[in-house]
Amino acid sequence: MDDERLPGDDRAEEFERYLAALTGGERPSPEHVEDGDEAEMARLAAEIAGSAPGTDVGPDPAFVEQLRLRMRVADDGLAAVLVPPPVRAAPIEPAGRSRWRISRRHLLRGGLGAAAGLAAGAVGMSLAPRSQQPSLGGGGELVSGEGFWQEVARVPDLPDGAAIRFTTTAFDGFVVNDAGDIHALSSVCSHMGCTLQFRPEWSDLRCPCHGASFDLSGRLANGRRTWRENPYRGDAAAYPIELPDLVRPRVKVDGDRILVWTAQA
Amino acid sequence: MPGAPGPFEQVYADHVVGIYRFIFARVGNRPDAEDLTAQVFIRAVEHLDTAREPRQITAWLYRVAQNAIADHWRAFYRLPLVGMEQVAPGWEPADGDGRPALPPDDSSLARVHALLGRLPDRYRRVLELRFLQRMSVAETATAMGITSGNAKVLQYRALRRAALLEEGRHG
Repeated sequence: MDDERLPGDDRAEEFERYLAALTGGERPSPEHVEDGDEAEMARLAAEIAGSAPGTDVGPDPAFVEQLRLRMRVADDGLAAVLVPPPVRAAPIEPAGRSRWRISRRHLLRGGLGAAAGLAAGAVGMSLAPRSQQPSLGGGGELVSGEGFWQEVARVPDLPDGAAIRFTTTAFDGFVVNDAGDIHALSSVCSHMGCTLQFRPEWSDLRCPCHGASFDLSGRLANGRRTWRENPYRGDAAAYPIELPDLVRPRVKVDGDRILVWTAQA
Repeated sequence: MPGAPGPFEQVYADHVVGIYRFIFARVGNRPDAEDLTAQVFIRAVEHLDTAREPRQITAWLYRVAQNAIADHWRAFYRLPLVGMEQVAPGWEPADGDGRPALPPDDSSLARVHALLGRLPDRYRRVLELRFLQRMSVAETATAMGITSGNAKVLQYRALRRAALLEEGRHG
């Protein structure tokens, strides 16, 4: 050990928290990295750690398989677009665009997440023109089609910041009270389709698989890209990629009853 | 489930291991490597034309991976942008004829060893123990006959020195 103290030595303890996560196989967070110099140090540490013998065995088979299923869903979805399914009659759109237009992102989002959380019919009907779709808000653009309103919770049981899990024949989700605004959110993470868990102490919906934390509006709260501008207040580590908002099914409040629109199975 | 893989599944099967390794070598941890790998293939579903030539598809995937890695590191730097060459060295974009380059070879390993080789002995030693042998701070300290507090300071100084060496080489 060099005896003399060097500038920056007092940062060693804090920086170790980044390194501990890195070497512990956890997701390191930028919060322990103070400036550009330390960022460069963090990057070099990651590169050295990434070259360690035994770490180049390749991806985890379970991860590879899970992502493969998503690719398969995308392939299936693409085939479905090329041969449009017989959806209910829709008016011809006035201007140019094909009414079968559907984004690939939509297909993907409708993939695992929707497959786990929605009746298959609702996904197919998302091919209907936009003008026919009821507004769902958030990231969801799912058409309801035939269905009914189902009571899932009561207003007095849902104070500000709370969430109640519900399951209908078509949907698995939470009704939440987001600062007085009562709405429903899918419980299916928009990343890989894992089931989110509500944590009352943080008022968030956290994904047990990769640590995404969604706020009660359904938006990713711990996204790494926005971390510095909008500091995340919870305990989850920074999430490296942007994720679509959680799907928001339709909700109405009738007196004390909270009802969720449920597609006919 | 269909028997023969569709175009996206085929692209995925051909590239997932290579893309994952490329990313892992640059972020150094599994959760981030998995997320960024997923991001690359999700982008592929959204934007990649699977009818392109295999070489072009490969080039496209690695370029997207490189961008994903750069985005990943942007959150760590105060500066808004991280140069591509800096975050994912060893990858050349398409050449003048518009022909895409081949996927990168595994040059990051050689780079790491070259970098470690240029450090003073004790700095190299602490980084080898900590990151290549994956020892904890306490184990590293024990192996070097110093306190844990000293080991933390030593690894911090070693990384700082390494960053200076890198900076000197690039700029």
